[in-house]
Amino acid sequence: MDFLDSLAVMVVGLAGGLAVGSGFVAFLTVLDVIPRLTVMSRAQKVVPLYEYALIFGALISTWVDFRGWSASLIPISAVPVGALAGCFVGLLAAALTEVINVLPILAKRMGLKSRIMYLLMAMVIGKVVGSLFQWILF
Amino acid sequence: MRRMVYLQMRKRVEARPGQVLRVVDVTRLMAEKDADVLDQLPVARFTRDQGNYMVIEWMEVVRVIREHDSTLDIRGIGQPYTIVEQKAKTRVPAGLYVAIVWILLFIGSGLAIMNFHTDVSMKEVHQRIYYLLTGVHHPRPLLLQIPYSLGIGLGMVLFFNRLFKKKFNDEPSPLELEVFLYQENIDQYVIDHEKDKDRRKVPDGFS
Repeated sequence: MDFLDSLAVMVVGLAGGLAVGSGFVAFLTVLDVIPRLTVMSRAQKVVPLYEYALIFGALISTWVDFRGWSASLIPISAVPVGALAGCFVGLLAAALTEVINVLPILAKRMGLKSRIMYLLMAMVIGKVVGSLFQWILF
Repeated sequence: MRRMVYLQMRKRVEARPGQVLRVVDVTRLMAEKDADVLDQLPVARFTRDQGNYMVIEWMEVVRVIREHDSTLDIRGIGQPYTIVEQKAKTRVPAGLYVAIVWILLFIGSGLAIMNFHTDVSMKEVHQRIYYLLTGVHHPRPLLLQIPYSLGIGLGMVLFFNRLFKKKFNDEPSPLELEVFLYQENIDQYVIDHEKDKDRRKVPDGFS
């Protein structure tokens, strides 16, 4: 019975992991984040490397998180991690905004096509300020 | 031998309400002779009751030219229609208008990111990451969170390739592409739907 229980738990865990993992990759693919970064870094030939980065990033951080392995680094080491994590969230947020076509429609409807850069900067600065506000003052 | 006339429909043109669209307005025409005369033939009148858009098809232009001179051999090049759009009243938006939309987007996106953070328990995640890195439990790991916040801005700017605009000059930014695609979709919709409407007659007395 014990063995069957463990087996059941393993099956459930594996199934859940499969669903989450494939969902994560599908999400990133739909949002075109990887292609954009690839073009930006002129790395069309090494796309598989980026795929491995995603897979290992997800895998290792899951493992470290669940095992509770603490690295005991100096506090300042949180700065680059935070910056890169924020960068990634920024990419996702921008991609989501783009997918739902907010800016083109707004610009067209309001006749602000020539000022679309200002609108974009409004969103960027709004996100940064909103986030800072939440952490520092909220 | 019949004289040749080549017609290429323009992609999009703008017109004022009530304006009579002549051949030269909607096409680029090349003729062996009398191109100026053909250019000035009226094709349609852009009236207010047609809404903001009108589609003029190649066939209409051909009919107009053939009524003028049925011996011409008319050939079409490129797409067979032109989209006529009503000229916007003002091209330059007022400063106040921009400011209002700016503030709307500014507050809206700030709110959206805060909602997102709450939604995914970002605070707990940050505390967890900070613990995993440093081994210290900290209720407000600002050392992680401030760079994170600035990183969001950097990431968005990166996505819309603003920083690298000089570097990738020939590649349009995703936003420019998106605006373009949106416009193309509208154009396609207009072409497909305006065609179904009753065709206009060439106004009399405008030749």
